[in-house]
Amino acid sequence: MRPEIRRLQGEMERLGYIAEPEIATAVYLAQEMGKPLLVEGDAGVGKTEIAKVVAGLHDTELIRLQCYEGLDVNTALYEWNYQRQLLRLKIAQDGGRSPGELEQMIFSRDCLLERPLLRAITGSGKPPVLLVDEIDRADDGFEAFLLEVLSDFQVTIPELGTIEASVRPHVVLTSNRAREIGDALRRRCLYLFIEHPTLEKEIRIIKSRVPHASDRLTREIAAFAQAVRRRSLAKMPGAAETIDWAAALVRLHADRLDAETVRLTLGCLIKDQRDTATIGGEVIASLVDEAAAAGA
Amino acid sequence: MMAADFLAHFTAFCRNLRAMGLPVVLSDAIDGSAALALVDIGDRAEVRRALVIALKIRARDRARFDQLFDVWWSGGPVWGRGDWPPASQRPAPHRVPVRAPAVVRTAVDRPGAVLERAEDGTPGYSAHPLLLRKSFEEWSEDDLSQLEEVLARLAVRLATRRSRRLVPVRGTGRVDLRRSFRNAAATSGELLTLARRARPIERPRLVLLCDTSGSMDPHTRFLLAFVLSLRHVVRSLEVFAFNTTLTRVTPWLSRRGVRAILERMAAEVPDWSGGTRIGECLGGFVRDYLSQLVTSKTVIVILSDGLDRGDPEPLERAMRAIHAAARKVIWLNPLMGDPRYAPTARGMATALPFVDQLVPAHNLESLERIVSSLSA
Repeated sequence: MRPEIRRLQGEMERLGYIAEPEIATAVYLAQEMGKPLLVEGDAGVGKTEIAKVVAGLHDTELIRLQCYEGLDVNTALYEWNYQRQLLRLKIAQDGGRSPGELEQMIFSRDCLLERPLLRAITGSGKPPVLLVDEIDRADDGFEAFLLEVLSDFQVTIPELGTIEASVRPHVVLTSNRAREIGDALRRRCLYLFIEHPTLEKEIRIIKSRVPHASDRLTREIAAFAQAVRRRSLAKMPGAAETIDWAAALVRLHADRLDAETVRLTLGCLIKDQRDTATIGGEVIASLVDEAAAAGA
Repeated sequence: MMAADFLAHFTAFCRNLRAMGLPVVLSDAIDGSAALALVDIGDRAEVRRALVIALKIRARDRARFDQLFDVWWSGGPVWGRGDWPPASQRPAPHRVPVRAPAVVRTAVDRPGAVLERAEDGTPGYSAHPLLLRKSFEEWSEDDLSQLEEVLARLAVRLATRRSRRLVPVRGTGRVDLRRSFRNAAATSGELLTLARRARPIERPRLVLLCDTSGSMDPHTRFLLAFVLSLRHVVRSLEVFAFNTTLTRVTPWLSRRGVRAILERMAAEVPDWSGGTRIGECLGGFVRDYLSQLVTSKTVIVILSDGLDRGDPEPLERAMRAIHAAARKVIWLNPLMGDPRYAPTARGMATALPFVDQLVPAHNLESLERIVSSLSA
């Protein structure tokens, strides 16, 4: 492995993100090639966390754009501050100003409300990290618009003209694959698919995030989560759920798993009623035994 | 910088990935070579990682990528400009083999299906008898275009759900300050009228799973023609054919006429008119496509007679997953045209709890009813 990538991996780990070589390589390539990074994977595998870690690595601001169905340019890019514009117009009404002056007064940058995309390219100082979260939830129209912004890093506001990026943000896009991302956007990015963690990785993740958990408990939690993922469930628990669960068990002063504690706290790990029914009862007991064997 | 012959070698690799059906285009190859310049080219694992990232290899294509990568890395014998892999070994794009060995069953194997129809001929074709009694093989271009007209009229009536996005409208709706204000410029800043926005009609996304086994034969082409005629009205249409294997046929839909598409399907879908393994095929769909193609906006339409005597367990699992992901599951069953029909065939009975609507699909009248339910 290239020393640069190894160093990056180490730094990510220092910031609490256990990165396999795949993830470190992807972050390194995105940074060196100046391309957005599209991260896909199941919920809770740490897609959003990547953006936070990249912000940490560069010690810079994280600007987040949460996508949803119906997200439009007004919310993502900019909006005029109408109240302020109206106020200025009223005040200026009898002032006998020229139309040009009036226009400059109301369509000035201080009447412009910057939304995440605009903020990400107009900042001064260090380039921020722009996280476009759950892009699959926005509709395809927004995706096309985003493509334009990400390829030129400039934005045209009719009343104001074209604003060019003063800095190029580090861009991370995440997707739960609720919808297939268009080929054009995919091609503009580098692509990383994150799998559920392996047992070793999960143990290291829990150790790093919930340091108070005992070694034995950590190993048992990780083994239990792995065993749960081998069952066919509607919603697989991600590392995020495992971390929550470990934190909950530490609060309850558990130092090992037993069937009763697991039953009471299963809601941290499994968040689907059908899955809870699948895992309930005797299955818990056998999973606990399995985990205990693996943790010993 | 990279040596020229290495670059040529890499380009050939990308070309071969394309030949295997992986969507790797020139811009991906450029990203790939840029990435190779940034990593340790002597390290196999690192080169593999970098290429997966830079060529945007999706999880479902990963196995095929790895296979070709290993050949490439070991300087496989087949490199160069030639056609590789040989056509006989090349997997057809988007074809999903079912894991268990295929068992071909013919219609003769299914006494139920044959008998039900043998008693009174093909049941229920009444609306346009002349047109509809004819088998597709006998159809002329004119007949088909007539049918297409009827179907197109139906399809337009596909009333639809409202989107969550707001677009400008006249009349009632939410106040749109941005446009109101812009309009006010014309009246020296006085807001005389308010511009408004409302939620527009949204066309549904359809995923069609079509049984092309022997017992469906008299109906398949007709039903497919119906669904294919919807393709201009719906927002997106994905079509899969299944019998003993699942085949994604969406890429063929761009052809002009319904007839051309049907012919291509009949020619290229493996085991057309053969047996069925509904459970395994739907399981394959769930595994490889569900998360990407099916959202809460998607309506799933399954065209099948539900005659499947395989193990009900995989079918139940697949239907549960599909039902959970989709907005609605509609099952079109041509056997329901017969008044004596009850959904007791094992496959149908297994799937029934996960079907929102079980609809007869034996004549145009029944299809008319489906149109309104597609949009609800």
